[in-house]
Amino acid sequence: MKTRKIDMSLSEADMTPMIDIVFQLLTFFMIAINFENTKADERVKLPRDMLAKPPEVKPEHELVLNFGFERNEDGSKKNAIPTIFYNDRYVEVGQLTADLEQEKRVMEALHGKEVIDKVTVLIRADSEVPTGLVQQLIKKCQDNGFSKFSLRATAEEK
Amino acid sequence: MKLTKGKDSSSKVDVPMAPMIDIVFQLLIFFMLNLKIIAPEGNFNINLPINAPANAQQDVALPDIKVGLRSDRDGNLVQLTLGSNNLGNDNAAFDRLNAEILKLIGRPGNPATAQIEVELDADYECQYKYVVKAISRCTGRFDPQTQQIARYVEKIKFAPPHKPK
Repeated sequence: MKTRKIDMSLSEADMTPMIDIVFQLLTFFMIAINFENTKADERVKLPRDMLAKPPEVKPEHELVLNFGFERNEDGSKKNAIPTIFYNDRYVEVGQLTADLEQEKRVMEALHGKEVIDKVTVLIRADSEVPTGLVQQLIKKCQDNGFSKFSLRATAEEK
Repeated sequence: MKLTKGKDSSSKVDVPMAPMIDIVFQLLIFFMLNLKIIAPEGNFNINLPINAPANAQQDVALPDIKVGLRSDRDGNLVQLTLGSNNLGNDNAAFDRLNAEILKLIGRPGNPATAQIEVELDADYECQYKYVVKAISRCTGRFDPQTQQIARYVEKIKFAPPHKPK
């Protein structure tokens, strides 16, 4: 009886389509990723507004202050008194002086004495925070030499 | 001259793909895990110079526009005012504020009113979202036809804070 010879050499899968797709995905994620918003704290529910547009010129130096409520997983407030989310701590506005002084010292050490006039304080305050406390926060910053302020809001769909 | 054909010249050179695929997958996983879909955020600049009282009078031809936000103890808006005019406390009140500001400045981007300032006088308890809404309506209006923002007043300042109720 005759036996047929079977080609035992390894059959190579065509990798080209997979590599194409993987590169497409990689490109998509690289473009979609936004490292700018790393300072944005998701616990703060910003007010929404149509006129809130990302600034055309990014401030040279900025200090981001996230001001909101400690919330449970379902979004309900854990604590009725809003606090500043500062380096994994919850700091009440009245007790922020030491931290602001530290921020100022670090900025001055890194960029010189005059830097404080150029620093923009970005206030990311929760939509339900009492305005009086936001004004108190601004006053604290002014007492520490900060003079430029921006209020943050989420861009709303038109 | 006779050219001799090398034995291996026509054979296919196999580039090892495995290391490249490894790295590409690592990159892909890194970017996938780091992707956060967040709505874009925008800024409203406010004018708060140090050592200048909030109610300091400036040498301008036009008087400052005073917008008041009165609220109850829970921070809900009770009354929105422009000067002494009561504009209401609903969403339409903010649209009325926008229309009134336009009346005061004449037309968007009017250079004669570039120095005009809006002073926001909000109650201590008033929720911050109402203040942002008022700032937005004083700053301008989004025109759906041109898809552009018509700018009204650029300078916004706060009145001295009220005491809690």
